[in-house]
Amino acid sequence: MVSDARELARVRNPVLLLSALAWILLLVEPGGMGVHAHFHAAGAGAMPLGASFRMLLAMNPPASLAAGWFVMLVAMMSPVLIPPIRHVRQRSFARRRARSVLLFVSAYGAVWMLAGCVVLAIELAVKRFAPQSYWPAAAVLLFVLLWQFSPVKQHCLNRCHAHTELAAFGAAADLEALRFGVTHGLWCAASCWALMLFPMLLPRGHFVAMVAAAFLIFAERLERPMSPAWRWRGLGSVKRILTARLIPADL
Amino acid sequence: MATFTRSNAWNNGGTFTNTDLLWYAKGVGVMQGRKLDDLSSWWFFAAMHGEYIKESGFPGWGALPSPPSTPTTPHPSTSVWNKYWDQCQHQSWYFVPWHRGYLLALEAQVRAAVVSLGGPSTWALPYWDYFGPGTESQIPPAFTQTKLPDGSPNPLFVKARYGPKGDGHISVPMPPVNQKCMSNDLYTGTDHNTPPPGFGGPKTGFSHSGRQSGNLENNPHNLVHSFVGGNAPDGETYGLMSDPGLAALDPIFYLHHCNIDRMWAVWNSNGKSNPTDSAWLKGPAAHGQREFVMPLPTNKSWVYTPDQVDSLSKLDYTYDSLPKLAPAVNLLSQRLTHLGATAAAARVAGGAAVSQGENSELVGANEGALPIKGKGASTTVKLAPDVRRKVSASLTAASESAPPDRVFLHLENVRGTHDAAALSVYVNLPPGANPADHPELLAGTVGLFGLRRASRKEGEHAGDGLDFSLEVTPIIDALHMKHALDTDSLQVSVVPYQPIPDKAEVTVGRVSVYRLGR
Repeated sequence: MVSDARELARVRNPVLLLSALAWILLLVEPGGMGVHAHFHAAGAGAMPLGASFRMLLAMNPPASLAAGWFVMLVAMMSPVLIPPIRHVRQRSFARRRARSVLLFVSAYGAVWMLAGCVVLAIELAVKRFAPQSYWPAAAVLLFVLLWQFSPVKQHCLNRCHAHTELAAFGAAADLEALRFGVTHGLWCAASCWALMLFPMLLPRGHFVAMVAAAFLIFAERLERPMSPAWRWRGLGSVKRILTARLIPADL
Repeated sequence: MATFTRSNAWNNGGTFTNTDLLWYAKGVGVMQGRKLDDLSSWWFFAAMHGEYIKESGFPGWGALPSPPSTPTTPHPSTSVWNKYWDQCQHQSWYFVPWHRGYLLALEAQVRAAVVSLGGPSTWALPYWDYFGPGTESQIPPAFTQTKLPDGSPNPLFVKARYGPKGDGHISVPMPPVNQKCMSNDLYTGTDHNTPPPGFGGPKTGFSHSGRQSGNLENNPHNLVHSFVGGNAPDGETYGLMSDPGLAALDPIFYLHHCNIDRMWAVWNSNGKSNPTDSAWLKGPAAHGQREFVMPLPTNKSWVYTPDQVDSLSKLDYTYDSLPKLAPAVNLLSQRLTHLGATAAAARVAGGAAVSQGENSELVGANEGALPIKGKGASTTVKLAPDVRRKVSASLTAASESAPPDRVFLHLENVRGTHDAAALSVYVNLPPGANPADHPELLAGTVGLFGLRRASRKEGEHAGDGLDFSLEVTPIIDALHMKHALDTDSLQVSVVPYQPIPDKAEVTVGRVSVYRLGR
């Protein structure tokens, strides 16, 4: 580990580059990456349920759905992994750093891919029963607003800040890197799932909504843990970032 | 000439014949007569440092022994609460500047009360220099009297102040409390005279409860807090001074911090520099976090930044004693001599340029959490042979262009509920040996001030606890010179100053060893 500033740069720069590449991919390949085909209302209504889902899956093959979800995850979530990745590197032997980070990120990603099954199923169901409608997205947006205010959301955010001890040697080190990835992924998914779902339900404007959601997710992580209570969170940091007041010194 | 001069509380024997103390007591009495939600009350100021007002049972303010009779109502509005309370900066490079502003604001409130009682308009806070000669390591006697000279209750007297042995005798034991931090060169960072994270603390954002204290904060600040508060006779609770959420209820708090502020001023007056990074100068509010804000007697609030309080001359006050420090010893030259690199040592002593490695690397760690109960615990820190050989090689080949590795023992994720504890950490203490007989094996002593808040899962640090870094380079050097560093493990013993109650549940998440070098 080198000095704090250099170590931060070593983690932050590649992570942000990866995120930027994923955003570019989402922008240039919207059809295959996170923006999935809708039925037209008339066609959906005229077709039996099973047939219509089969057609929907034919239009959105599972592999393509998974790939799109994965790219979306990399774009939106990788910036919030900078602090835990730094923690894993700092608490690991130099020769094990890459391995431990890989285990942590893999476990974290696996949790989110499983969460993606649920989110994508909701998306497909909405596109089957209410294609081209803004109402499902509006309903989720209302839930997002409620969720953002809730003490439960704060509890999840607090847990996302927890960077616990890690074993140093052997299988225990591997297991604890995996365990840290799973727990971090679970709390992260619990905190962010509604914000991830909302853009996916929009018939139009999903890219802009994804950028906004990612921005809010990043901003709310900049706020320090606090007692769970009903309060709005994240918007203050968004405003401050937008007004070029940058990010805290200890991100 | 500054308008206000802060003087030694031990003048006139630290009794009420020292008028600084007598007026302080009277001013505190006025502030204690105000309500909790009054921005100029004693209780409001204590809550700005930290509070447990809504908690039931200890350490809830409603469960504290009297005196003082601590109120828990009326609450201020939510906006006032969020603006002012739970603001103190710890485990942070903002530790000293935030507390300087806090002292100035409290001093202004006390002075206004003193003036209202017919006292001097130039009254200033006295400081408790526990490093002073003779009996000055003891609390000034004015704080132990139950009555003022006129027979009225003494507002400086606090029941929940138990001392290092828990017997009500308040003194600062030396060692382990020391002034070694004063020889540090760097405010934030590390060099051969400055263990990490530096004299003033690590670079952080707003940090009401953080992770790793700076060197001034760790010793003497934290240890004095833990020792003055001390263990209660009930064997479970502790004194007010031991916990950031209680400490500022005890009037000795401000005299302790006045001394810490003086030590910062002495450090600066001896040519040591504060950070020039705008993130420090402009404070956390410049990065969108909470601002540092204090209520003034004029009913206005004062928002301040570190660059507004980074020198006494900007603030119209001074101390009666800002001594010159002894010339710094060239520790690297000494160390090279000890390692047998005498020619390199001479060149370093002669001013040769020295490079410093910046790679921090894990050398070894124990397995599993280490509970600390009763008289302490020990654990085996297993070393990775390849990294340990790297350390040995650097010691063997030490020179000014290839400085030997420095080695640090880390106590990671220390959690619990007993802030009054002070832990001494030894390396390779022989079985059954009396720790006091082996100062050469002592890695350092840490005070657990802030432990409870850092351990709260819904707290500002998500329950990760405290981290401590102790330099064990001299111990490792000694092992190397005895050809005993070729070992698979180190035995680390954690010895509490006073036995730790079982219910305190103090645990060290991991004990690890790091090298710092090329």
